[in-house]
Amino acid sequence: MANFRRFRPEDLNKLSKCNLDPLTETYELGFYLQYYAKWPSLFQVAEDQNGNIIGYIMGKLESSPDVYKFSEHYLPWHAHITAVTVAPEARRLGIGKLLTEQLEVAADANDAFFVDLFVRSTNHKAITFYKSMGYSIYRVVKDYYGDHSSDPTKDTEDAYDMRKPMKRDVKLEHIRENGEKFEVDPNDVW
Amino acid sequence: MSFYGRHPRPALKNSVDVQLQTAFSDGNWPSVIRLADKRFKSLKDPYYEAIKISAESQLDSAAEKCSVLVAIDALVKSKTVPDYDVLELYEWAARDFLEDIDYADTLGPLRARWVKANPKSPLAVQCLQSCLEYWDLVSAQQISATLDKANVNTTDRRYMYWSVLLTFLLSISPQCTENSRKIYSLLALKQLERAADITENSPKVEPTDRGLLTEEEFYLYFRVLRTLGFKEDYLNRLESPKLGALSQLKADRKVLFWESLDVLESWGEWDRIFDLCKQALSLGLDGETPEFYVCDLRIWKKLVAAASKVANEESALEEVQSILNRFIAIKDKANAMYRKNISLALLETTFRFPATLLTPSPDHGGLTPRVIQIGLFLENYYDRLAAFDDVKDYVSQLSFEEAKAFTEIVLSKMLEENSDKTKRVILKALEYKIRYLLTTCPQTLSHHPSVVDGEEQAKPYRCRFCSKLASLPCEHCLKQMIVEAADTHKQIANDAEIKDAIPKLDRDPRLDLSLVIGNALLKLAGLKPQTGDIAPSPLRDVDSGLFLRAVVVLDSQLKETPSDTGLRLLLVKLYLLLGCASYAQQIWIPMDVKRTIQDALSPLFFDRIGSLSPGLFQSTRGLMDPLRSYYSNSLRDSCPLRIWDAFSAGSYSSILDLTEYDSRLRRSSTLMMTLVEERRATRAFGGKLDGDIEVSPFTEDIGDNTELVNKTDYGSFTNLEGSQGPPIQDFVRLGPDLSNVRSHLSFLTEQYLDLLGFKPPKDYKPAKANEAAIRDRNYIIETLARLNNSLTMFLHKSETPLFLTSAEMTYNTVVSLLSASLLTSISTSRADPVPKAVCAIGSSVRSAFAHLRTSFYTPLPTGSSSSPPDIYSSVINFHTMSYVRDTALAMKYSAAFVISFHEKELARDRTGKSSLHKEVIAEMKALDAVATKALMELKKHVQKMKESLGEGGWLDRMLDWVFGLEEDDEQEDEVAKAVEQVIGGRAEAEEWVSKVLESWREGAKGWGMVRME
Ligand SMILES: CC(C)(COP(=O)(O)OP(=O)(O)OC[C@H]1O[C@@H](n2cnc3c(N)ncnc32)[C@H](O)[C@@H]1OP(=O)(O)O)[C@@H](O)C(=O)NCCC(=O)NCCS
Repeated sequence: MANFRRFRPEDLNKLSKCNLDPLTETYELGFYLQYYAKWPSLFQVAEDQNGNIIGYIMGKLESSPDVYKFSEHYLPWHAHITAVTVAPEARRLGIGKLLTEQLEVAADANDAFFVDLFVRSTNHKAITFYKSMGYSIYRVVKDYYGDHSSDPTKDTEDAYDMRKPMKRDVKLEHIRENGEKFEVDPNDVW
Repeated sequence: MSFYGRHPRPALKNSVDVQLQTAFSDGNWPSVIRLADKRFKSLKDPYYEAIKISAESQLDSAAEKCSVLVAIDALVKSKTVPDYDVLELYEWAARDFLEDIDYADTLGPLRARWVKANPKSPLAVQCLQSCLEYWDLVSAQQISATLDKANVNTTDRRYMYWSVLLTFLLSISPQCTENSRKIYSLLALKQLERAADITENSPKVEPTDRGLLTEEEFYLYFRVLRTLGFKEDYLNRLESPKLGALSQLKADRKVLFWESLDVLESWGEWDRIFDLCKQALSLGLDGETPEFYVCDLRIWKKLVAAASKVANEESALEEVQSILNRFIAIKDKANAMYRKNISLALLETTFRFPATLLTPSPDHGGLTPRVIQIGLFLENYYDRLAAFDDVKDYVSQLSFEEAKAFTEIVLSKMLEENSDKTKRVILKALEYKIRYLLTTCPQTLSHHPSVVDGEEQAKPYRCRFCSKLASLPCEHCLKQMIVEAADTHKQIANDAEIKDAIPKLDRDPRLDLSLVIGNALLKLAGLKPQTGDIAPSPLRDVDSGLFLRAVVVLDSQLKETPSDTGLRLLLVKLYLLLGCASYAQQIWIPMDVKRTIQDALSPLFFDRIGSLSPGLFQSTRGLMDPLRSYYSNSLRDSCPLRIWDAFSAGSYSSILDLTEYDSRLRRSSTLMMTLVEERRATRAFGGKLDGDIEVSPFTEDIGDNTELVNKTDYGSFTNLEGSQGPPIQDFVRLGPDLSNVRSHLSFLTEQYLDLLGFKPPKDYKPAKANEAAIRDRNYIIETLARLNNSLTMFLHKSETPLFLTSAEMTYNTVVSLLSASLLTSISTSRADPVPKAVCAIGSSVRSAFAHLRTSFYTPLPTGSSSSPPDIYSSVINFHTMSYVRDTALAMKYSAAFVISFHEKELARDRTGKSSLHKEVIAEMKALDAVATKALMELKKHVQKMKESLGEGGWLDRMLDWVFGLEEDDEQEDEVAKAVEQVIGGRAEAEEWVSKVLESWREGAKGWGMVRME
């Protein structure tokens, strides 16, 4: 039922299966197109037989701005997963995993130290998903999200910054074992 | 200068003194003007004059504001190389004009001139960026060519490819003159051909070489070749071991391969498609470890489709089977998704090849290899959410014998063999969906003679499943299905074990059961696809009781499974049909359709919303603001969004796609819908419009020949209909989908109303009144002639009625007639002979309008099993009512326009020569009288509707209507009971009834506020 290929702008007219699901955020047009403009090979989709998008991953390659070079929070050259989502009907078929693996291949090809991402600390499904692929928590970003996905009495939610080392990080210097204990402020992440 | 910040103020040169710098950064323009003037006089540096001019342009008076334009013009004419900082200043100072003046005639050429003189400067790239921001491709192409020449041996390959790409973009753009088009195409193609040759012939391409090296360069080459080159060249290069699709695929790059499949298909090159797909799939098998990267379903489908089209079908099939078998052998090592693709490929092969070519199986009646393969597939996937969609198209293709064997043998056996209670329920739900699907497939019916024993037969078919007489679909089977599905529903309700298991399932089986029951009831009610010439309301000939039962079943299911979007979307549509727009809105809102997805999804709720429920625009402030601001944000610049990002990253294929997407978005029918719906609603409440539709920045480039594109996304609808017939959305939409024709007609009729509504500003007293009057008259005549021409052109297309509801057809026809009538009236003064046409057109208008009113006021046909209250025919007819009003108003405004024109002419020209014929005026008065009367009548109708809905006793009346039917046959009685049981009894429906009523009342209240004059 699925094809994997690079994103094309007209796919934005076919996002309903993914984006009408409440766990998937919809962004402004410029946001998607910026990724397509700058990192087209890191924007991959899965489509069904009718051309509906049933999964996509959107990522980028970057390091922290040079001015932070000497900050303890400086991030060296790495790939970042900005969004990954799979339509409810296509979950647990390995689509999320395939999309992420493709991005990891690109990260290695571009000599990145690691791949990282932010996930809501209550999104257990996604956390399990990332852990199953070798990602671990690197740090906790306190009150990173300006709302809470499951508890209406709270108006913020923490993020886990999760990472997976790539080939370049031979000595595994960019991950840590007890990342849950490292708390940082949203201002410390870029 | 930053690209995305909206024109930040440039920094002045460092050499400028602090005092002037401060005044400039504070925006203290009078000081800047004074100081800069002083410096200019003492230092004689023209830069200071430019500062002064730029500052003057920030002042309010029109003359000063324009001084920068004069300065720019002088620079262009002077042919000297401008100062870079002066350009920056002028570009900033003229920012408000740059929408209107052509960058390509002013700053663009100045930038290009500057780059020519300073090709090595790092600022040259900034000039390119500026030209791209204003989408001046002519200057951008010149700059890029200069940059390429100046940077020949650089490792920055972008210079060369910017130049090639811009030459290509220019060659296919309207900005290119016809004379240069050929030269630019040739230039782009030749440069790329040379690059391709270099790559083809050299052992290794270095970054300084002018060959093709990066992924994006390859893609650009093939795109340009496909557009501008010869087919043979494309085909040859596609097979090249260095450049071609396979070599790219080996490097994990799929884009070219995918693109080429489309290109080859458009050329009918099936032999090549076959070879290409075969080789691609073999790549996966040739390596040491299996590579499933190539196992996309599309590749399999194309391979199989191609195999059935090549000369030697038999050997092609053997090859396909051999590759497939090799993949099947290693399939367990694959990711679940690829495993599924391989299983589907097997199904595809079985269905695509003639039965004679497949491994023969002993004759088991309908139990053919096709049926067995669907069964095998379902054994693995029946409990997955996508199972039904995966097999749907295949099941639709089964012959009747196969379908019978499939349901009666295969599905029954699967049920028998499954002892798990929950799984059995899932299987049953799937079985009902498949049985429903089969009722929509014509092969399950046989023709029945229309006359038997001299008696005319009401039902044209005999159902091959139940042998009863039937129409399409078979009512008996549908009823049977409803009763059985309701039974399964009950079984779940009574079984704690199953209920506990449901949250862990992919999908709640009750959802499928309700969908089957709901869809079957809709069909029994007689709902038909809304394509083409439809009745005033799609529900007019539909059995209201059965229809409402469908709605109540689906509605009560939504409470159980609120996150199912398929169900939600279906309900939104059904409530819109039912005249419950405010309730439909409540169901629509939680889907949170916002930002980017609005273009494709908003029409699902907003299309025709103003005609259904103008009141929504009153009860929800800024109802369509998010849509409008989406377009304002996305289309604010003249260049495609994020285009410079793609240039600077060297993403050439992205540049081409972004350009195409931008052009498409500017032509979106959803965008036109947004403009038109808002305007109609504003007018309905006597609000002030934002200006004429024609001068909206969104419609600037839209002419009659612009193809307006509909991209409505129906992908999330749960569609149980067979693939040979229309999908569910065609049944539940209020009328035909958005289209180029409808969008243009709306645009034109709005322009007509703008013309009628034009009032000169109160203090406007032209000096030469007579000349001004002649000018005005000419303008009116020209506009009317243009509008009439365009309206007639669209209305005369033979397919136009297919794109409109009958009410829209009448309205557009009447407006077109009125424009003709006005044109004749106004261009024929009393000095000319009496224009006979005006009377003839007037009578056509009146008869079209009379027809519309009759269809609106005609009571619903009686004879259905339920008898709806009178109010029902009003609420399901809001759309037509809206067009009765709009048509009447168009007539009234037209008449008023002519009469007022006539009176003005009388007052101006005492000779009376330029005023209009009395016959014309009489005709206009007659039109006005008809319209006024109709509007009064409509006002009363709305009042009556409001009063009626305000009466007491509705709850019981409604419940009786929906549930209290006298069923004359046993099966129907069973159906009625089944529905009651699924929703949990009549009492449970009370809350629903109040919501429906409340929504009707709100709708009626909104209509009460609509102006009828
Ligand atoms: C998270 C998400 C992308 C996973 O996509 P998916 O295609 O279903 O995941 P996969 O099938 O590739 O799963 C790979 C592995 O992840 C783990 N996993 C995935 N979903 C899981 C779930 N719901 N529960 C437990 N484990 C899960 C499993 O180990 C799974 O391997 P397995 O199926 O062989 O056991 C998908 O659930 C989703 O789109 N969620 C909503 C959006 C979202 O939360 N995105 C993440 C934001 S940071």
